[in-house]
Amino acid sequence: MLWRDVFNLVWRSVVSSPLRSVLTALGIAVGIAAVALLTSIGEGVRSYVMTNFSQFGTRIIAINPGKTVTGGMGGMLQTDRPLTLDDAAALTRLPHVEHVVPVVQGAGTVKAGERSRRSDIIGANYAINDAWQFKLAMGSSLPRDESGRSRNFAVLGFKLKQELFGNRNPLGQFIRVGGIRFRVVGVLEEKGQMLGFDLDDIVFIPVDKAMSLFNRDGLMEIDVVFATSTTSAAMAEAVRKELILRHGNEDFTVITQDEMLKTLDKILTVLTAAVGALGAISLLVGAVGILTIMTTTVRERTAEIGLLTALGTTQRQILLLFLWEAIALAMAGGLAGIAVMGSLILLTQWLAPDLPLTLSPFYLGISLLLSVLIGLLAGLAPARAAARMNPIDALRAE
Amino acid sequence: MIQLEHISKTFLLGDQAVHALDDVTLTIASGDYLSVMGPSGSGKSTLLNVLGLLDQPDDGHYRLEGTDTTTLSEPERARYRREHIGFVFQSYHLVNRLSARENIELPLVLAGVPPKDRAPRVNEMLERLSLTDRATHLPNQLSGGQRQRVAIGRAIIMKPQLLLADEPTGNLDSKSGADVVTLLEELNQQGITLLVVTHDLALGQRARRRIRMVDGRIDSDGT
Amino acid sequence: MRTADLLRFDFQVLNRHRFRTLMMLIAMSIGVAAVNLLTGLGEGAKSFVLGEFSMLGKNTLIMMPGKKETSGGMPPITGEAPRDVTLQDAEALRRVPGVKQVAPLIVGISEISFGGRNREVMIAGTTASYFSIRQLPIRQGSALPVLAWDIASPVAVVGSKVKKEIFGERPALGQWLKAGGHRFRVIGVMDSKGQALGMDMNDLIIIPVASAQALFNQEGLLRVMIEVQGSEQLESTRKRVIDTMIARHEQEEDVTVITQDSMLSAFNDILDTMTLAVGGIGAISLLVAGILIMNVTLISVSQRTKEIGLLKAIGASDRDVLQIFLVEAALMAALGAVLGLLVSEGALLAGRLMFSDIAFRTPLWALLLSVATAMTTALLFAWGPSRRAARLEPVNALQGRL
Ligand SMILES: Nc1ncnc2c1ncn2[C@@H]1O[C@H](COP(=O)(O)OP(=O)(O)O)[C@@H](O)[C@H]1O
Ligand SMILES: [Mg+2]
Repeated sequence: MLWRDVFNLVWRSVVSSPLRSVLTALGIAVGIAAVALLTSIGEGVRSYVMTNFSQFGTRIIAINPGKTVTGGMGGMLQTDRPLTLDDAAALTRLPHVEHVVPVVQGAGTVKAGERSRRSDIIGANYAINDAWQFKLAMGSSLPRDESGRSRNFAVLGFKLKQELFGNRNPLGQFIRVGGIRFRVVGVLEEKGQMLGFDLDDIVFIPVDKAMSLFNRDGLMEIDVVFATSTTSAAMAEAVRKELILRHGNEDFTVITQDEMLKTLDKILTVLTAAVGALGAISLLVGAVGILTIMTTTVRERTAEIGLLTALGTTQRQILLLFLWEAIALAMAGGLAGIAVMGSLILLTQWLAPDLPLTLSPFYLGISLLLSVLIGLLAGLAPARAAARMNPIDALRAE
Repeated sequence: MIQLEHISKTFLLGDQAVHALDDVTLTIASGDYLSVMGPSGSGKSTLLNVLGLLDQPDDGHYRLEGTDTTTLSEPERARYRREHIGFVFQSYHLVNRLSARENIELPLVLAGVPPKDRAPRVNEMLERLSLTDRATHLPNQLSGGQRQRVAIGRAIIMKPQLLLADEPTGNLDSKSGADVVTLLEELNQQGITLLVVTHDLALGQRARRRIRMVDGRIDSDGT
Repeated sequence: MRTADLLRFDFQVLNRHRFRTLMMLIAMSIGVAAVNLLTGLGEGAKSFVLGEFSMLGKNTLIMMPGKKETSGGMPPITGEAPRDVTLQDAEALRRVPGVKQVAPLIVGISEISFGGRNREVMIAGTTASYFSIRQLPIRQGSALPVLAWDIASPVAVVGSKVKKEIFGERPALGQWLKAGGHRFRVIGVMDSKGQALGMDMNDLIIIPVASAQALFNQEGLLRVMIEVQGSEQLESTRKRVIDTMIARHEQEEDVTVITQDSMLSAFNDILDTMTLAVGGIGAISLLVAGILIMNVTLISVSQRTKEIGLLKAIGASDRDVLQIFLVEAALMAALGAVLGLLVSEGALLAGRLMFSDIAFRTPLWALLLSVATAMTTALLFAWGPSRRAARLEPVNALQGRL
């Protein structure tokens, strides 16, 4: 049989009971649309999280005290062998290192004149703008003072500046952070939220000042930003060696940003696939639908099958005819589901670009393949039943 | 008493109007026995369907025991069919998945008669139709004559006043056909109004009143 | 028509088309089972996570140094603030009305060594009351002794994992551990207990708070645990605790006091939303099953056209016919739902047997909702075809014309 004739016969059969065909395809369409939507949400969340996490740049290595980061509390805990400012200074001297940011974090009251606000206080240094990609809205960064002798200068997050100064110019003004006077030298651009942490409600002060403010002798974290001239693995190794040399043993943890991003990416990819798989449960029901309807169709067309056999059609040809019909129904459903959901998602992206929705051609392709596979599997049994029909019995059915 | 007054029924076949019933006026006395004959397509079945409240005429009035049926609502007409009219078809129209007993019982079921009241009535009917030993058989396990007897049982289980039979012997051999005719005439003798559409001249001649239809009109009406 | 007769009539129909009926039951049961299984798994995961994190009793307040303006975000968990919360502050809280007991807490990391084995562990400096607030079970020996809080004492209670990794099968009680140049005598071993708010209680050593202050060279406390006399006093006591701290800190509110529930409620909300979401995803398959029911009912109507005509001829009204087809769909949905429930309940039972500490259980709302959704979709989708059947002209139907 010519392909064109196969197509024609299948087409005739599909349109001969249009409502039935539409409903059968609709079952698959709903399932495919669900898979497309769910994977788009998954992909959207993944890319949202990844952008959020990579906003600090990817060439960063974070060092926390303690060998095992216990439940994410690592840096906050006290240790009898802390990471010190001297450790940070030593890392500065390593080759390929561009910036080193020592970090201490706490919370307290920030006052400016009569206004006050309780905010996060981060002790860091001049390098935050380059290391963490914080852009300055006005003024300058913390100065490059000699470690341990920094001046009382502060940089404000955008929201904190608004709360304390409104629209007045804060540069050169004095604020009190935990009772100590600081002069505002800069204000950061708006950054937004990250994991429940408001990046704009922060005051940055020199790290040594923060340590004495919090009465703490260890750093919570040291961030090392390295040049493109080396790899993150090599850099991590160099950092590890240097600190072991200084501490005597490995009582700290080194995490590279790209390692963390990779892990995160892997987790979110698996989650996306899992959510897509949940959506595919409805495809299973759609497959049951095709099986049911195709079986009914074969039974109704018993006489026709008998006639075809009498005219010399081979079993194989009959099998293929019914199989193609099942695949055609499933694929029509798949295409419709993808088309409808795809355009809905594109429309949503256009209307509400903030929603985490990303159409993934990969998953769309997978769903389309899946619909073909469903048609094939669900169509197999009825098609074989049709092919194996005894022509005499089949003709007698008329 | 059945009164048809100027009944008309027109079908559209493509863009051509077919007058299946053309100004038919007819009065049938209770307990009468009529045969309706005529060429194929002359409107016999349509007349039967109108009489049985299966179909509604386009024009005219149909009074059944004094009630004008043309104004009845759908559920009321269903109730009339259930309680006052019995149908027998050429092709039996038995429900294939139901046994002989269940087919006969069906009108009682539709009428909501409690099961304990149904059983004796169905048993009695099976007895009367000599089908007791076939009670649990499915239609495809019965001969044509037996099937038509089941269909007649189903038609009269509700004790209707009017029994309409559309070529009841059309699918039967002469022996079982004769049995079915005997059964129908027995019922008529017991008081039921019987109307038989037939192509069989001999059967038609047996009726007390014979109607001949041509082109949707009553061509002759005699005894 | 009587209900019993209607059901029997429809059962006969279903029985007649066994393959089709079976397929519909499978389709419906997949949907119902998916909803119940997924919500059951979600609920299990939720109770597991919440159980892990609710090691504190219901009546416990957690105080941490520092205060942030933005509410709803992260509390100031680093424990760093310009003004320390001191041991004296914590002692003062013991006298606040409504407070039952108070445990100060300093947590740090240190390397401990014993007989040539080294291991980095978390060390918690606290007091005897910590054991009762956290309901820490002691397997051997005793908990910390009741001491004046500012008195250091070289004693330690070790977690079960620490015991195993440092001492192996040897007895730990009475042995001396070294930690950061200080020596501690093991006086107790804790029983296994899970993670709690980021602290693995098995991989932990507990020493007196004054000893920890010396070990880590730190005055300020990381947390103060406060047990309240009754849960109805939780909120009022929380206010009094904050007032006391304000009074002690020169009229400045620079501590954050949270309840365990307030921390868990965010978790709870997230997990509930997830359970709802996966349940909803499962329910999509009920929609697909509904479409299948519609399709099959359409086929059924077209195959049974003559029967519909006959039923009308012998006196069935439109309503009777409608009922016959709707009840047929409803029956399939109901039977499918029962089948689905059996499958999901069986799977969840197996899950509970395999993971005895996770309570996989379909919440009642999901159970009722899945069955109700199955029935409603079936009826909704069967409505169109059934009405088509009901409205058939009897004369046409008798001749098999739709
Ligand atoms: N449902 C219908 N649609 C169109 N034409 C019909 C329909 N039913 C009957 N007819 C036409 O009406 C005429 C009378 O039909 P019918 O009563 O069945 O005749 P009979 O039973 O005498 O053979 C015929 O010409 C037939 O073709
Ligand atoms: Mg006729």
